[in-house]
Amino acid sequence: MDNLIWAEKYRPLKLNEVINQSHVTERIKAFVKEKNVPHLFFAGSAGTGKTTMALALAHELYGKNWHQNVLSLNASDERGIDIIRGKVKDFARTKPLGDVNFRIVLLDEADALTQEAQQALRRTMESFTSVSRFILIGNFSSKIIEPIQSRCVVFRFKTLNETDIKKFIARIVDGEKLKITDEAIDAIIYLSEGDLRKVANLLQASAVLSEKISEDVVYDVASQAKPDDVKNMLEAALKGKFEEARKMLQNMLLRQGLAGSDVIREIHRQIYSLDLSEEEKVQLIEKTGEYEFRLSEGSSDLIQLEALLAQFLLVKKK
Amino acid sequence: MPFVQKYVPKSIKEILSQEDAINAFLKWISKWKPGGKALLFHGPPGVGKTALIHAWTNEKNLEFIELNASDWRSASQIQEVLGQSMKQMPLFKKSKIFLVDEIDGIAGREDLGGVGAIIKIIKETRFPVVLIANKPYDPRLRSLRQYCQLLEFNKIPVFDIEKKLNEICTKEKIKIDKEVLRMLAKRSRGDLRSAMHDLETLSQGKKEIKLENLEVLGFREREGNIFETIRNIFKTNNALAARLAINNSDKDPDEIFWWIENNIANEFEDPEEIAKAFDALSMADIFKKRISSNQNYSLKAYMIDLMTAGVTTSKKNVYRKFTRYQYPSNIILLGRTKEARGELKESLAMMTQVLHCSSKKIKSEFLPYFKIISKNRNFKKYLQQEFSMELSR
Repeated sequence: MDNLIWAEKYRPLKLNEVINQSHVTERIKAFVKEKNVPHLFFAGSAGTGKTTMALALAHELYGKNWHQNVLSLNASDERGIDIIRGKVKDFARTKPLGDVNFRIVLLDEADALTQEAQQALRRTMESFTSVSRFILIGNFSSKIIEPIQSRCVVFRFKTLNETDIKKFIARIVDGEKLKITDEAIDAIIYLSEGDLRKVANLLQASAVLSEKISEDVVYDVASQAKPDDVKNMLEAALKGKFEEARKMLQNMLLRQGLAGSDVIREIHRQIYSLDLSEEEKVQLIEKTGEYEFRLSEGSSDLIQLEALLAQFLLVKKK
Repeated sequence: MPFVQKYVPKSIKEILSQEDAINAFLKWISKWKPGGKALLFHGPPGVGKTALIHAWTNEKNLEFIELNASDWRSASQIQEVLGQSMKQMPLFKKSKIFLVDEIDGIAGREDLGGVGAIIKIIKETRFPVVLIANKPYDPRLRSLRQYCQLLEFNKIPVFDIEKKLNEICTKEKIKIDKEVLRMLAKRSRGDLRSAMHDLETLSQGKKEIKLENLEVLGFREREGNIFETIRNIFKTNNALAARLAINNSDKDPDEIFWWIENNIANEFEDPEEIAKAFDALSMADIFKKRISSNQNYSLKAYMIDLMTAGVTTSKKNVYRKFTRYQYPSNIILLGRTKEARGELKESLAMMTQVLHCSSKKIKSEFLPYFKIISKNRNFKKYLQQEFSMELSR
């Protein structure tokens, strides 16, 4: 079955088609031509083409059979030291098939790797350089330990500007023969925050809702995709309905399986639009910051967020 | 037939985790001669004391004469029951063994003389005698103890009980939540018999046992202990008293943590108190992480301090009201949604291969849109076929 998910369907396979990272593309193309790739580290924000660039590289290097020579792992799902010692090492030490004399290990979301795993990785990268190269991908280079960074050529991916995003929208609009207004395109650019993955998803959902995509449809999709759960929860807490707010929180974390860090970031965003005095907003933001810190130090997202919710009770009281 | 009878061990091999006791018993019985000491089994209930004798006599095809507290009232009654049999060889079997169960039961005024009668049997019998007591050091059994060799049985490890219960469930074709098994096993405190009874009670008329059933079936009553603990923590303003309350509970502090968490808002009424209490729990949780990431168990004390004393001192005055403490809702919710979460996880794992990003990212960046896009039938079918994903709004 063809891939029906646009974010994937419109992911370019050729280095030339990767949008606006020409400073990276030129160098990568040179590597491919020489059939000699160093260890690479792609850093940059979400949806700017890091993974796409790595996949396109693999594609151009190995052709159709790239799968045999590339081990693609997502460190956020497989982050422990066992993966590095087991899967990665086993793959990295075997010889490649075909005329390129190394294989590629693609480690996506590498900033999620634990410290121990990174230490183990460092050794592996060194030992098997003759037969394997590593491509690490992450949002923040600071979360990757120095010794690994020093073994890699680091590329920083630029944030995409309006023209870039418009280019990508045009590709999909042409490909799917969509009807879309200029205002809707602007809305998508605004909502996407430079993330092409989001652009594709927004477009695909909008196209399902309406034959002709207007600004309203786009905003409708955005609000449906981001339901007001967090806002409702905060408002319940402000009204003093702690139990209700708690139930909503448990539902988000335990039933929907959202990450505590995502929820607290949304709380942070929502505070500005709550019906509170400016002083109270700042107070709550300070509290939110404190509990986000504790979230990273603690063992249960639920407890930390509940404690934060209880702080919202206090504001209401005054 | 009740589970405890149906699954009674038929041979010594089937007895759970009492290797030491079994070896000592085998050694004793191989050396026993008339005039030798009796063997006194002791230990908590439901760990296999009686079962060992049943299994042994079954395995060796021995005659087995049992006496328990309900059978006797006095020396003469004991004489009546055992009478000649302690001297005569059995008619159809190789040999026999006497089992006097629940001997703590014979102590007391009414049974005066009972102990003497048993001593007499030990002295005169031509067959080995095994006695069973829960509390062998009862002063009323002092004279009897001189004629006995003591053999202690230990609690059965929770893990073994869990395994046994699981085995029974498989044989009985009962579908049971792993969490329930664990809780049943934990609750039993090493008492396999009570665990089997509990399992049977829960499974009556059902082929599937879920976490909620535990609650519904009046388990609350039997969990008196934890309710007592929670009450002791909340109904005091004394830090040390709250801290000590946890010592009287055999529940894991990590579990008590969630009991406290779930009941703060039931107990406290002032928002300031609630906020303060949750702040204490938040700090306790940070210690929990420090303990687990550094394996530093000496920090556990601080976690417990904060979650008990820290929480309870958040209030100004002790609430003089009856609070109905409730079972931790997050544990119930986790149990209830376990299956769905498992399925989602599998679907996400398949998607990560196609979408080249982590399941976490798919959950936050893709799923909300997929829910909308699924209004398109083809797309919905695509998700079902490729990733066996069912999205509900």
